[in-house]
Amino acid sequence: MDIGILRRDGRTDAFFDGTAAERLMIRHCAECDVHLAPDATSCPGCGDEDPGWARASGDASLVSWTVTHGRPAEDGTVPEPALLALVELDEGPWLYTRLAVARAALREGLPLTAAYVHPDEGESYLLFTERGSVG
Amino acid sequence: MSAAIAGLGITELGKVYGRSPRRFAADAVRLAADDAGLRLDELDGLLVSHGLGGSPGIELAETLGLRDLRLLTAMNAFGATAGAMISYAAQSIASGAATAVACVFSDAPLQPRQSSGSAYHRDAREWYGFGGMTAALGLRSVNAFYALAAQRHMARYGTTSEQLGAIAVSTRQWASRNPLAQMRDPITLDDHQNSRWVAEPLHLLDCCLVSNGAVAVVVTSADRAAALAQPPVHVWGWGQGHPGHRKERGSAFGLSTGAAISGPAAMKMAGVTVADIDVCQLYDCYTYTVLVSLEDYGFCGKGEGGAFAASGALAPGGALPTNTGGGQLSGYYMWGMTPLSEAVIQARGHGGDRQVDRRDVLLVSGNGGILDHHSTLIVSPHRKGA
Ligand SMILES: [Zn+2]
Repeated sequence: MDIGILRRDGRTDAFFDGTAAERLMIRHCAECDVHLAPDATSCPGCGDEDPGWARASGDASLVSWTVTHGRPAEDGTVPEPALLALVELDEGPWLYTRLAVARAALREGLPLTAAYVHPDEGESYLLFTERGSVG
Repeated sequence: MSAAIAGLGITELGKVYGRSPRRFAADAVRLAADDAGLRLDELDGLLVSHGLGGSPGIELAETLGLRDLRLLTAMNAFGATAGAMISYAAQSIASGAATAVACVFSDAPLQPRQSSGSAYHRDAREWYGFGGMTAALGLRSVNAFYALAAQRHMARYGTTSEQLGAIAVSTRQWASRNPLAQMRDPITLDDHQNSRWVAEPLHLLDCCLVSNGAVAVVVTSADRAAALAQPPVHVWGWGQGHPGHRKERGSAFGLSTGAAISGPAAMKMAGVTVADIDVCQLYDCYTYTVLVSLEDYGFCGKGEGGAFAASGALAPGGALPTNTGGGQLSGYYMWGMTPLSEAVIQARGHGGDRQVDRRDVLLVSGNGGILDHHSTLIVSPHRKGA
């Protein structure tokens, strides 16, 4: 799966340090004791614009999913479909992500866990796989 | 002093090239004023709404040579903007802040020799930050986000692709009777099912068109509108709803929308209930948007939108004629001005081959973002309370 090259943007060092070490890092506001998505720009409880980071379990459940199909090219070739999803982390926040899950298994609430990909170039990233499945 | 829509201006729509969004907007305002029987210098208010390209803004007043305006602003609640503009115009009329307000939406995302999908598409080999990762993984079109919403509704309530297809088919039936519509060839449920996937569960025929052009209306007092060129379309009620679905545990994303807030508010102001609505013009960026809006307005129960759509109620001859001009799916994509313009045409009785018989109360919806922003208008050819 070629997704291009991921780079840091100055706000996500802790997140990409995490994926490199196979840890899912999300935001956590200590003041409010609330977990937030890694891309949260502020805490809705107190307004802190740089909430801290915390390690999430990596476990999640499936909220919804889609298979996207790119537009066929002029030569008739079709881009590889992508299985994308909204997942609910056990800590509460939702993430948009990509799944490595058999289509027949897809259902609301399917237990998932984070899996990490380490490309030759650029930052490591994560997908979600079925929890308890082999491989 | 209640307000009425007195003028409607629609430019050429669709694959129309060589005009900027500002030029389209100016053309639409001139057409709307002319339609109302007003001179341009009789406008004292202008509300401007632009597409994702960001133009035009309030400099449109200068483009039109408008002087001594008493109301001028750009508004943006995405697809809910048209409803928001009408409500602001109506309140300005009521308070005396302005007497004749043009409201315009304009956009020109299409370029020559380019498919409509790529008009909004960006591709990059390098991606930055967390958002970049999400995009790199494939979540980079609005289609995918709406697909996630629709799929959640399907998983929760058993809604089917064929039920969404019923909306595509009935909307095209209406479009085939509308000379303004871009897609007028009839389609079948099989055509819908066989159209290519865009983002499952959405087929190509679940998705709206992309159009260049502009639509404007002129809002004035009901008294003044009665003396102008066109049958007045009275504004009975309005509402907005911004549910603020946070992406976290407990969110109703995909299951319900701001229509559940804006609909009851608008109907209460208008003094009507869903049983009084004769015609619906619903924001239909996707077939699914229509389905979930029908539920949230209360035309059917939650989770019953699919069965309701498949019953034929929305089609010509059905119990609740909906998107009678072909909507955004088959007509033209002018954000919230698509449903509003068709409501004005129907309320006036100018619908030609597609004119509905009963049109005492019309509901108009707007939907923006990924189901983040919603507006509802209730309009009628009759004065409120008359
Ligand atoms: Zn906080």
